[in-house]
Amino acid sequence: MATNRRRHANAIPIASFMTWGIIALFALCGGLSYVWCKNQLYNTGTEIHALERELAELKNKNEVSLSKIAQLSSTAKLQERYNTGFIKLVPITNDHIVAVGNAVPKPPAAGELRPVSNERTAP
Amino acid sequence: MNRATKNRALTACLALVGSFTVFSFRLVHLQVTQHDEYAAKAADAHGLRVPNYSRRGPILDIHGEPLAQNEPVRTVIADCSLIKDRDAMADIVSSALALPRAQLLEKFERETYSQKEKKNIPAQYVVLKKEVPENVAMDLADALAARKMRGISFAQETTRVYPNQQMLCHVLGFVNGDNVGVDGIERTMEQYLRGHDGFRYTERDRTGKEIVPYRGQEKEARNGYRVKLTIDMGLQNIVEQELDAAIKQFHPKSATVIMMQPRTGEILALSNRPNFNLNVQDNVPEDFRRNRAISDMVEPGSTFKIVTTAAALTEHIVNPATMIFCENGYFAAYKLHDHRPYGDLSVTDILVKSSNVGVAKLAMQLGDQKFYEYVRRFGFGERTGVNLPGEISGVIHPPHTWSKISISRMPMGQEVDATPIQMATAMCAIANGGHLMMPQIVHDITDDAGNVVTPFAPQEVRAVVSKSATDGIRNALIEVVSPKGTATLARVAGFKVAGKTGTAQKYDPKTHQATHDKYVVSFLGFMPAEEPAFVCLVLLDEAQVSHDKNYGGLVAAPIFSRIGERAARYLGLTPSAEEPAGSVVASQNIRD
Repeated sequence: MATNRRRHANAIPIASFMTWGIIALFALCGGLSYVWCKNQLYNTGTEIHALERELAELKNKNEVSLSKIAQLSSTAKLQERYNTGFIKLVPITNDHIVAVGNAVPKPPAAGELRPVSNERTAP
Repeated sequence: MNRATKNRALTACLALVGSFTVFSFRLVHLQVTQHDEYAAKAADAHGLRVPNYSRRGPILDIHGEPLAQNEPVRTVIADCSLIKDRDAMADIVSSALALPRAQLLEKFERETYSQKEKKNIPAQYVVLKKEVPENVAMDLADALAARKMRGISFAQETTRVYPNQQMLCHVLGFVNGDNVGVDGIERTMEQYLRGHDGFRYTERDRTGKEIVPYRGQEKEARNGYRVKLTIDMGLQNIVEQELDAAIKQFHPKSATVIMMQPRTGEILALSNRPNFNLNVQDNVPEDFRRNRAISDMVEPGSTFKIVTTAAALTEHIVNPATMIFCENGYFAAYKLHDHRPYGDLSVTDILVKSSNVGVAKLAMQLGDQKFYEYVRRFGFGERTGVNLPGEISGVIHPPHTWSKISISRMPMGQEVDATPIQMATAMCAIANGGHLMMPQIVHDITDDAGNVVTPFAPQEVRAVVSKSATDGIRNALIEVVSPKGTATLARVAGFKVAGKTGTAQKYDPKTHQATHDKYVVSFLGFMPAEEPAFVCLVLLDEAQVSHDKNYGGLVAAPIFSRIGERAARYLGLTPSAEEPAGSVVASQNIRD
């Protein structure tokens, strides 16, 4: 009887504590997760910002390079380099150019000797 | 609980209720009544509209070679309120940007009046230098970061770069400090070249850094379109080189070469002298910037005879073989001379010998009004409509304002003021069978992906003369370049060339008479004559040669020949089987 009285007088509501403990734990985890997520969001934002800056810098560098390429490969620059002898090209003079016309030779007469064999004849 | 305790408890409760009520009212006042005001203040403090700048579109030649493009540069800005050691900062910036140290120190000490603080504070926005190359700016930023120095920022901008410098300067034009086109294609195609800036709404923290998760509405920038010209840089280079050589040889006051595709009216090359470097525009005289091909008018001289002859042939007043008596060199009624005494000349020979008397008689047979109509139909006296700024219409006086001798002078290109582009366009009409084409300089406009936004198709203005007339003129112009004509030196070995020389005395505004020592010499021709690939005008104003050699046939024709020879090779034209590839011998008839 005495045992029962003590138990009733000093009972620790473990189930209730557990319930509140779990609720508190969930709340704590939820709060921490929220903070962690928020922190992640900011960190990712900072990373995005840094990457965007890097990308913009790369784009700028690319444009500077493209501009330099355009200047170095421009007609005016190539002509200047040719004039100074940097590009070793020899202009072909007219007497070294063979112009091939579109004239089609007549078919040979019977028994006529042909000087070349690979020319095309009109039908 | 006794009464006193109860009273104390009640008082405490009332005090709490009262204070909470006051707080609640204040809260409602702030959150509801003054919501908009405080929301706006918060937005001002944290909200930010970040502009996303577009890039100006490039200009390309017909093969896609960049003629005008952008290069990223930085503007270096100082915030003097953040600079702690001005001397040390001046040392670093001075050596990096090549600016005088004293000038920098003066800028660092600038102050502005603050309305907020009611006193002068160090200036927060002082431009130290514009158009600083990207690598120089980055080196300076690294140097400052290494020393942990604050107060210098770098604003991103772009500058317009023209890789070919002087070449094509009058066609391309240039932009002002705000990247807005003010001349040439940069100006006429401004609406296409200019992009549209975008923006992004975002928020920043108290240090001014962007809070990326709070980004709001965003609009992408649209870069300017690509403008592709009809210019072929291969041909342009040939023209520029030959023009440079001519300038060295003849030292003219000015010179113009125009090369056009006669069937479409496309301008293949265009060059003027004097010219200027598009990348270095400080102290360029205004005169150097003028595109003389469209904004200068000259008396075309004998090249204009093609207009008179084509009109007479179209009206069937004469045929190429009709004989005209040329008054043995002097037409007394009109005080008109020929260079040589000619008797009877065929219409073809009038062009070949460039007889002033003969062509005047053709115009007289046409009549004032008819002749005037044909001059206008060839496009003289009106703008051609080429997509370049500053084009003038030239001057063609209507018949009721003519003097008694006008009908004898206009057919040979006097009392007529035309622009070089009008002359070249008129010759295109002869070369293509009688169709006046609008000169075309822009081929198409595309976006970044290469999709055509606006095509520019060739436009025929009107049919001017008959095909039979142009055939007759073409045959005569081929004879002009033969050994018996005035333009023997315009021959191109292996090709049939058709063309007409012109030598016009310049008008002296002081004496109101033609001068005897100042000439505008020209050659206007096309090749191959059978199927013209290009029309080319070579025009030199006041070439420094002796009086007896200052003729279009001696000065301008050889330049055409050299351009024609190189252009034929560049374009891969098939030589004519009938034309020998031998050397050219100057004719004794070159007096025009």
